[in-house]
Amino acid sequence: MHWINWLVVAAYLTWLVVDGLRRSRGTSNLEGYFLAGRSLPWWAVGLSVMATQLSAVTLIGTTGQGATDGLKFVQFYFGLPIAMVILGVTLVPFLHGARVYTAYEYLERRFDAKTRSLTSLLFLLSRGMSCSTILAAPAVVFSAIFGWPLAWSVALIGVPTIAYTVLGGVRAVAWADVKQMVIVVAALVAMVIVLVVRLPMPVDDALRIAGAAGRLQVFDFSFDLTKTYTFWSGILGGTFLMLSYFGTDQSQVQRYLAAPTVDDARSSLLISAYWKIPLQALVLLVGVLVYLFFLFQPAPLLLNPQHDAQLRSREPATYASLQARYDTAITRRSTQATHLANTTDPMGRRAEALSFKWRQQDVDAVRTEALAAAGRVTGQPSRDVNYLIPRFVLDYLPLGLAGLFIAAVLGAAMSAISAELSSLSTATVIDFYRRWLRPEASDEHFLGVSRLATAVWGLFACVVATYAATLGSLIEVVNRFGSFFYGSILGVFLLAMIPRARALGAFVGLLAGMTAVGAVSFGAPTVSFLWHNVIGAVTVLVVGGVLSLGGAPTAPAPRH
Amino acid sequence: MTPPVRTTLWRVLAIQAVTLGLLWLLQTRYAP
Repeated sequence: MHWINWLVVAAYLTWLVVDGLRRSRGTSNLEGYFLAGRSLPWWAVGLSVMATQLSAVTLIGTTGQGATDGLKFVQFYFGLPIAMVILGVTLVPFLHGARVYTAYEYLERRFDAKTRSLTSLLFLLSRGMSCSTILAAPAVVFSAIFGWPLAWSVALIGVPTIAYTVLGGVRAVAWADVKQMVIVVAALVAMVIVLVVRLPMPVDDALRIAGAAGRLQVFDFSFDLTKTYTFWSGILGGTFLMLSYFGTDQSQVQRYLAAPTVDDARSSLLISAYWKIPLQALVLLVGVLVYLFFLFQPAPLLLNPQHDAQLRSREPATYASLQARYDTAITRRSTQATHLANTTDPMGRRAEALSFKWRQQDVDAVRTEALAAAGRVTGQPSRDVNYLIPRFVLDYLPLGLAGLFIAAVLGAAMSAISAELSSLSTATVIDFYRRWLRPEASDEHFLGVSRLATAVWGLFACVVATYAATLGSLIEVVNRFGSFFYGSILGVFLLAMIPRARALGAFVGLLAGMTAVGAVSFGAPTVSFLWHNVIGAVTVLVVGGVLSLGGAPTAPAPRH
Repeated sequence: MTPPVRTTLWRVLAIQAVTLGLLWLLQTRYAP
């Protein structure tokens, strides 16, 4: 990468860390460190909520997904606006009004200590691991692209993140998130402009080609539980997933607990309700445009440069044969794309579109073979799609803009990780250290322990991410385990709002919900994970509700 | 001050209707 691009990256990272620390100067107590003194403006909280959800995977993987699968992934977010409105009138007033540090702390006030500790422990287990995943994903791509050892990439992302999170706390995290959202949107819009300008044909013709390749298929109205992304799984499963994520996951709850009033907390969530789907559509659209761009520019057979080099050197005959077939296939596809664009009558277009679809299938078939060969030679499955956007950015974006995009990817990774680190530290200190080990200690003592906990979680994430390649399957197991209880925890919080619900019902309901999701996950593995949250939440409500029958009403925590 | 829930709900639904409508137009025009 050109030194000017590196300069852009270095300038952005320095600004991020220095400004974060400047804004958080004078943080001297626990509330300041974990909740920014409950004084952040609603729009900063709102952007922080969005930035936390948007990781480097969104910019690298989701754009790549747009290029290979088109826009249909946007259906995943259809439930989000509904979830935000529901949260605004249900959980947000309870959690904010209870003046808690963690969402789980509220569960002890409402139910008992064991429900709080179990939910908090489940959060620590799943988020601790997912934190290293969101660090490892961009680090692996950076290492392959720039030819660095993985540890360097992990350090490049991890060290500044740990520094500003440990020293500045939530205030530094939130203001870094605000900058990140601005730079991400700027980078995406700039990419759309560059891509549209560089199209060798009018946009209307290019979109017709994308449509023929199935890249503009958004809606799938089939009610099929085995399909992950359909309109219904997005609306129903997506709503429950987003309710769980934004309503009960400490990494998100902590964002809006930092808002001064319930109204501010609600307004912050509404930013996502308004803008998340358009933003996600923009991310996927960039992918579709990159797909169109590479129809008329020679894309490498394998996008991961390390896998490409290894296959080339270890099986030169296989590589040469695949390359020759690939060259023929992409030339024929590109010719067919031009035919399609030049055809004007509707009947002719339909025939040309069908031919184009076949040419695309030829290209896909050669690439699938090449990926299998690379997998055999390297012994690692390559998530090749993750390299498409970085290759485009580094090889074709104008000087400076490539640096802006790399800075945006680093910023996205850092803001997602910093939110996780600060929430992991909060749950560790508030739900375990202060609750069980040292209930009585000074604020300075807790502040010191909190900084230490943030650093330890950061170090843990870096170490796990460095060994991500070898720990791949373990991380997958933990993430799958995480999906077992996400909906169940939501069920407990929903139960908390029912006046008659009792502690026994909540605890047993939680265990029953997790068991039900586990049973469905293993017994019917084809059922898409988006339905797991619905199953978990409903099971907890039913079991918890039945076990609470006959109890006297208990008032939920007061609203302020 | 946030507006009443019903107003918020309508506002959210209106923005989503516009977004989904645009995506629907994109799909029906180019990917029939």
